[in-house]
Amino acid sequence: MASSQTAAGHPSRAMGSALPGADDAALELGRVRDARVRRAPRVPSWVLKVVMALSGVVFALYVLVHMIGNLKVFTGADHFNEYAHWLRTVLQPFLPYEGLLWVVRVVLLVCLVAHVGAAGVLWSRGRASRGTHRHQGLGLRNFTARTMLVTGVVLLGFVVFHVLDLTTGTGGAASTSFRAATLDQAYAYENLIASFQRPVAAAFYLLAMIALFLHLAHGLWAAVSDLGATGRRLRAVGYAVAGVLALAVMLGNIIIPISVLTGLLS
Amino acid sequence: MRLVIEVWRQDTPQGPGRYETHTVDDATPEMSILELLDRLNDQLVENGLEPVAFESDCREGICGACGVTVDGNPHGPQRNTPSCHQRLAGYADGQRIRLEPLRSAAFPVIRDLVVDRSAMDRIIAAGGHVAIDAGTAPDANSLLVPHESAERALDMAACIGCGACVAACPNGAAHLFVGSKLTHLSLLPTGRQERGKRARAMLSEMEQDFGPCSLYGECARVCPAHIPLTAIAAVNKEGLRSFFRQKDD
Repeated sequence: MASSQTAAGHPSRAMGSALPGADDAALELGRVRDARVRRAPRVPSWVLKVVMALSGVVFALYVLVHMIGNLKVFTGADHFNEYAHWLRTVLQPFLPYEGLLWVVRVVLLVCLVAHVGAAGVLWSRGRASRGTHRHQGLGLRNFTARTMLVTGVVLLGFVVFHVLDLTTGTGGAASTSFRAATLDQAYAYENLIASFQRPVAAAFYLLAMIALFLHLAHGLWAAVSDLGATGRRLRAVGYAVAGVLALAVMLGNIIIPISVLTGLLS
Repeated sequence: MRLVIEVWRQDTPQGPGRYETHTVDDATPEMSILELLDRLNDQLVENGLEPVAFESDCREGICGACGVTVDGNPHGPQRNTPSCHQRLAGYADGQRIRLEPLRSAAFPVIRDLVVDRSAMDRIIAAGGHVAIDAGTAPDANSLLVPHESAERALDMAACIGCGACVAACPNGAAHLFVGSKLTHLSLLPTGRQERGKRARAMLSEMEQDFGPCSLYGECARVCPAHIPLTAIAAVNKEGLRSFFRQKDD
């Protein structure tokens, strides 16, 4: 039945003859081809998944801290601006002005390159291994898992916009009244209010936070698995933490544009 | 019960394949998917046509030989049930049923519904076995295995290697299969002695045919041996352990 290609041109096996004493010719029966889907990759997929898990956890911790910092907006304009100023001057004179911010920026950028790069390689390997007949009819099942690429791209776009809007204050993305921080004063509060008073910016923020929730909820749970958590209790805790953290970050951030648009913050 | 069967026909591994439509008029609800194929083949042979090639052996869910995709579901619409145990009770008179092979780039079609699953055999050959001289059976109670380890090893050893997990995965990953083998062998005294070496060998073999895991969880839905998703985490766990330990055990 099978048009078996025999041992000729057989790529070398990992551990020599597969089964000592076995009839190699018989083992070949029923084989259609000996070609693999790909040659042994230099960086295995499981290592790339660990890279994604670790960089993803860094992002998750960052957005958690970022969200808690954001909530200081409810403590008043002066306090919030002082916090923004403090972030720039913290640990002086051990660190230069904006020292901590730049450390964080470099770490995040390295994680971003690793995370996106690994995602691209894994995506293409997954497609190659699946082949031409795609898995269809999944419905709403594993919706978060299947939309990781989409939510990831939305988040990447949002990060670019967010930096242009509230960090660099680049025209087009930022509000017209944007004021950059000076050496002794930050205007984070005013910039934030001015930005969110534009309904389109607020709507994009809302969309990005929903994407963040979906991405984090699945990503953190996947990280638990990719970092090798097999214990029953550990997995249960990981599953719960992934969901709770994702939800907390989304809700904590979303109330800010809503408060601005409803006039609670101005 | 009358069923309209759309079945994948492919004469050679090179393809191309196509769907053929046939009607079986005397299907019964207690028939399995495989018995439906038997019935269809009787009909085809009576009419002088070539029967549909498909694999099956024990037909009691323990051998792992059977495995067809039914309406997009590896093994069939019922969760955690092999093709040989999937009954037609869920189908209504006149309904269409689509049968195709297990789909994955790692499983090339040999003919019709028969696929070449030697990519999984290669993983087993690479390290899914005990290759030390285990000697004769030890005296009773001289080698103690905790009850919990024995139970977990047995649960993971339940894998019958049917390949449905791979076909269910949108990434064509074999993590459920590999993870079950790694866990099973690492829990027991003889298998444990090659734990690190085995993980390296099996993972590097797996990389060449199968995709990465994105934790869709589709594999655990179809697995006829009820291997839990925990097995997937075991793949990375054993990978990390062997990487940092750099030893054979």
